[in-house]
Amino acid sequence: MSMKQAVKLRRPVLKQLTQASLQNEIVLSHSIWVRIFHWGFTVSLTGIILTGLILHQPPNFLVLNFGKVFIVHLASSWFAMGFVALRITDAILRRDNSLIPKIEDLKHFPKLLGYYFFLRPSPPPNRKYNSGQVLMYFSWFLLFLVASLLGLASYWQGKHLLWVWHMVGGFQVLRWIKFAVTIYFLATIPLHIYLSLTEDISRLQAMVTGYERKPPP
Amino acid sequence: MLSRRDFLKLVVEGAILGNFYQLITPPLAQAVAAGEVNKLPVVMIETGTCTGDTISLNNIWTPTFSDILTDILDWRYDWTMLQAQGDVAIRVLEETYEKMPHEYILIVQGSMIQRDGGHYNHVGFKNGKLITGLEMVRHMGLKAKYVVAIGSCATYGGPAAGYPNPSQSTGVQNILPERRVINVSGCPAHPDWIMGTLLHLALYGEPELEKFGRPKLFYKETVHNRCPRRRFYDQGIFATEIGQKECLYRVGCKGPVTYADCPIRRWNDRFNWPIGCNTPCIGCTEPGYPDLMSPFTAHSPDIPFPGGTKVTTDSIGLGVLGLTSVAIIGHAVTSLYKGRIHKNLLKTSLKGKHQPTVKKVKTFHQYRLKKI
Repeated sequence: MSMKQAVKLRRPVLKQLTQASLQNEIVLSHSIWVRIFHWGFTVSLTGIILTGLILHQPPNFLVLNFGKVFIVHLASSWFAMGFVALRITDAILRRDNSLIPKIEDLKHFPKLLGYYFFLRPSPPPNRKYNSGQVLMYFSWFLLFLVASLLGLASYWQGKHLLWVWHMVGGFQVLRWIKFAVTIYFLATIPLHIYLSLTEDISRLQAMVTGYERKPPP
Repeated sequence: MLSRRDFLKLVVEGAILGNFYQLITPPLAQAVAAGEVNKLPVVMIETGTCTGDTISLNNIWTPTFSDILTDILDWRYDWTMLQAQGDVAIRVLEETYEKMPHEYILIVQGSMIQRDGGHYNHVGFKNGKLITGLEMVRHMGLKAKYVVAIGSCATYGGPAAGYPNPSQSTGVQNILPERRVINVSGCPAHPDWIMGTLLHLALYGEPELEKFGRPKLFYKETVHNRCPRRRFYDQGIFATEIGQKECLYRVGCKGPVTYADCPIRRWNDRFNWPIGCNTPCIGCTEPGYPDLMSPFTAHSPDIPFPGGTKVTTDSIGLGVLGLTSVAIIGHAVTSLYKGRIHKNLLKTSLKGKHQPTVKKVKTFHQYRLKKI
């Protein structure tokens, strides 16, 4: 099934859009499950990162009940894993491979960098997501799975996932990898927000309404 | 004789009451008198070590160390305890090897030094040739009933394997992959951990081991889980300097990542332990100690870079975030200057038929005469 679907808009909305002599085509960009995943994951990942940083280094200016901070951390982690599972299921059911990098994405990546570094006037052609987005989202997906595995290993304290402990080599290394993953997320999420706000505001709108305006083919 | 379940109960009870040996002695004495205890021969080989574990092991109060050794175990070879020396001593070792194969316990204390074939660590002299620790441990280990590594060095390399590890030191398990090594880690290992493991081996065989080969009866839970200052942590009340009475997490306590029963067993005949005297746990029972645990006053280990420089984990994190911020701000400013943000926003947000295009135009400056 194509990502672009026939739009079923309510009649008054359609009327208004016709009156406004809309030039572009309205397409369904993000299904409801993708939007639920996106915003649910946003909230839960924010919870994980903030509580994780507090647990890592208790701030001087904040006196919090650490028992509760830990519970929020754990609950956010379970929710985040649930949302990722939802997204994977949705992708499998819709046969959506838009987040899996292809060779052409790697080929387009230098050109995209050229655009971001103001060496090209426009970005290269892309699939649903441009090559930078695909690579970044895919890396998030992989790193989240790694962090989840490490999180579960430490959650079960050696009762399960013994192979993870053996592979990693101890709690301190596990903790360090989780910290490194956090830093990666913290470094790339602002980039994602910045580019979402400045490159294609219609795409951002689509993450709320589901619909995006695109030039007619 | 005591059942294994009763023995495990006594291990915990003895830790809480501080009289493990007093509790264990009467049933053991009965078992010894009834001939139920099969005295296991023990040989201890010291490789790259400071002998700290022997000192720790000797720090048993009641009953005396000699009582346990003579009644429960047949302590045959140990540098610190030996009365013989030279060929006579080596002969005891060889006798044990030849006459008691698969009967004796091999205790190894100290890291396995691998550099240059192990020739930085000699543990004996036989037939006019120096024997390395590597050779001796492999030789004795392959025919031992149990191999027990005591102390951080023997278990995971310990301080001897610290960065940059010029002696290429490692733990016993790495040079004896054919055998399951029982790791009694710690720097030094607590006397109860060593003797409790030996007692378990003598009475009930191999104890249940946890993920890194340590007996679960001593290394099942983290220090943090049983710490008497856990309530401070849960409430977010932290010491800001070493020496204060609150939770020492902020000053680098490794209790949350360290598996040991120090909080209930404590040290020096249950007199005190590190957190009891207001210093953080340094995580000496964990693999990777001391590199992964240092600096002892910070949570995460410093990262070594080529040339010997070490940078703190937090500095690396802040550096990466700083770079990202600079990159985003720089890009935003350049985009504003070049008009890219305007162009993108107009292109993707306006909806008329005739979309206006944005073009950067030349700016004309107006000049006025200055009134004098």
